[in-house]
Amino acid sequence: MLILSSEKTDNPARIERTYYLISENIRIDGREREDYRPMEIETDVVSHAFGSSRLRLANTDVLVAVKIEVDAPYPERPLEGKLEFFVDCSANATPEFEGRGGEELAVELSNCLSSAYRSEEVFNLKKLCIMKGRKCWKLYVDILLLEVGGNLFDAVSIAVKAALWNTQIPKIKSINVDGSNIDIQVCDDIFSCTKLDVTGAPLMVTVCKIGDKCIVDPNAAEEQCSVGAVVVAVSRGNICTISQTGTGSFHPDTFKSCLILGISVAQRLEDSLTETLGEIKANQDVGFLK
Amino acid sequence: MEKQNLICLPGQRLSLCDKTHTSGKGTYDRRGYIYSNISGIVDVVIKDGIKILEVHSPGLQTIVPAQGDVVTAQISIITQQYCKCYIKCIGDKILRRHFKAILRREDIKATEKDKIDVYKSFKPGDIILARVLPITEAHNYQLSTAENELGVAVAYSEHGHPMIPISWTEMQCIKTYVKEPRKVAKLIPENIHEDLIARLSETTTKV
Amino acid sequence: MPVDHKRINAPESAVPYKLFTKLNTESLKEQYQKAIRDGIRVDGRKPSEHRKIFLKTGIVAHAKGSAYIEQGNTKVVTSVFDPREIPNRTDYCLKGEIYCEFKFAPFSCPKRRLHQQDSQEKECSAIMKKALEAVVCREEFPNFQVDVYALVLHNDGSALSAAVTAAGVALASAGIPMFDIITSSTLAIQGEHSLFDPNFREELLSEIAIEKEHGVVILCVTSTHQQISHFHQTGNLQLNTITQSIDTLHNTCKEIVPVVQKCLVKSVLSVISES
Repeated sequence: MLILSSEKTDNPARIERTYYLISENIRIDGREREDYRPMEIETDVVSHAFGSSRLRLANTDVLVAVKIEVDAPYPERPLEGKLEFFVDCSANATPEFEGRGGEELAVELSNCLSSAYRSEEVFNLKKLCIMKGRKCWKLYVDILLLEVGGNLFDAVSIAVKAALWNTQIPKIKSINVDGSNIDIQVCDDIFSCTKLDVTGAPLMVTVCKIGDKCIVDPNAAEEQCSVGAVVVAVSRGNICTISQTGTGSFHPDTFKSCLILGISVAQRLEDSLTETLGEIKANQDVGFLK
Repeated sequence: MEKQNLICLPGQRLSLCDKTHTSGKGTYDRRGYIYSNISGIVDVVIKDGIKILEVHSPGLQTIVPAQGDVVTAQISIITQQYCKCYIKCIGDKILRRHFKAILRREDIKATEKDKIDVYKSFKPGDIILARVLPITEAHNYQLSTAENELGVAVAYSEHGHPMIPISWTEMQCIKTYVKEPRKVAKLIPENIHEDLIARLSETTTKV
Repeated sequence: MPVDHKRINAPESAVPYKLFTKLNTESLKEQYQKAIRDGIRVDGRKPSEHRKIFLKTGIVAHAKGSAYIEQGNTKVVTSVFDPREIPNRTDYCLKGEIYCEFKFAPFSCPKRRLHQQDSQEKECSAIMKKALEAVVCREEFPNFQVDVYALVLHNDGSALSAAVTAAGVALASAGIPMFDIITSSTLAIQGEHSLFDPNFREELLSEIAIEKEHGVVILCVTSTHQQISHFHQTGNLQLNTITQSIDTLHNTCKEIVPVVQKCLVKSVLSVISES
């Protein structure tokens, strides 16, 4: 939202046409209001990471890698592991990100992700505990924006889910406790790893309000027409985070209809993502920038 | 005073917006109604048979200079090409935070632009009246004094005594009688604070 | 804010002593049951009852406008300063900006807050900014930013809502042109319990999944135009619960409006009598 609002648009006639077409349930690129643009997803693209994915949604390109480290749990929550999101807005994506330009967007994205993953119903951090109060796994989810073509929240959430799905946590063979020293023995066999349970991992849907209609997956021109958008993070049919982007305000009824649309679209997105991820076989010969 | 002050708050609906009612300062219109923008006192100004609704904030108003405003500024730095100054008042509103502005050499006078010398027109510390030009840069307001009524209003001589204007281009110290060149403003209070004066006289007659 | 390297923080291994007290040995479910017994909350309120609000303007002399809010034990000071140039900005922009800084005082929460803004405070600042941007007429001050600071002196739940309401009052008392009055309210949900204006414990317990449905909802509404200027939710909730909470929170926000109005009228009257 931040970047695209400052992007120069094409002529006003085109915007007007966008406006008009949306009220007719046909969008400028032939989609209907609830349709997404085609996506491409790859997993296991970064060899040094424990899990990774790359998503391309039209012109948006996101690369997500998960790194795992051993850490001590928070004293308030001794039974839980840690999960942290870092968003990096590379200046490659758009010149506006140069210097600290992308910081605001990065903070917004990582805040939204961490609040969406906060609930135990969504993502169970207790599975990441190695030893109560002493040792736990810490997942670093690094999100790199390679190209920005609108609709970042959705793209990032899908890529994060795929990366977590792909993540393999080493198995622990034994733990030796000697006073305050804890010695962890990790299984030597690199293939015996546990996978994370990501069925509840949320998908975010950005619902854009244009005129009095709501659309999903807006392209750049559509984002220009819109005054505000609602980001709905959905996990197993429940809403785990709602946030707003842009500066517009909503009437309560419009807001509710945005939520309804968001939840139904998220469900469809979820189904097709699970299906696609299911088709990926282990050791499939795919590479980054193939 | 018979008329009671009508206090309104931001977002308060004041009246219909039609041919006889329009929104003025401190109000905005949306979907056929006029709403208040700030908290203050409602004021109805009748002009050409049209009622203009205005809301005036009794305290310090938060405003920024806009194109065409007459502002009071103090000169801080002069160079061959321009002088830098700080905007201290907009119209009759005193600002708490001063805005940086620049007055270019060619905007000092309306005529004989090639013969203007910045140092013969202003000195640092002078209080000038100027008009805000269209805003082109983010951090700098451009000013112009190319009108008879604009230019130096208050100035002190080298020895620190007040000076009085003696011609269009000169001011004289009241103690030392030294003459110094300035681009002098022809101060006509009515022109600058027209509506303020009108309002003042209105209230005094009422009282 | 620049990092103060000279300040020595407590060693990282230090933990609040409360972790070792008896309360902490109880399960979360027991804790929650204690927090609400027979439909009455610890402080004697009904679930749908809002705490009393005290609002006052003009408490920070140097600020253009300021407001102090007390909502039960939650105490927040907000101040608004004159428009100033946007730092590090060279291009021309038609609309002004609002810069928000939300900060918990180090002693405001049971756990000591650090001097720097942490991620939660940054998130709160972002929410505040979005909520306020929708109500301020930003086209009135192009190229400028208005600074809004909120400092929580005591956090007893719903601090963000209190800060948004107070910031709206501070902006209005500073004479910043606004489209509307903004009020905000928080709801904490755990299972079938919906607690309005939660206190610190209730808010904390609702963020943890004790029942399947749980969460915290914050709604910011403009009073005349009835628009949602910002909505934020965390946790795990069903659509129905959310739509219901929007309606009920909307009503709560409406109930706060008279308090805000009264406070603003008072501040206008006091300025008139002064001049």
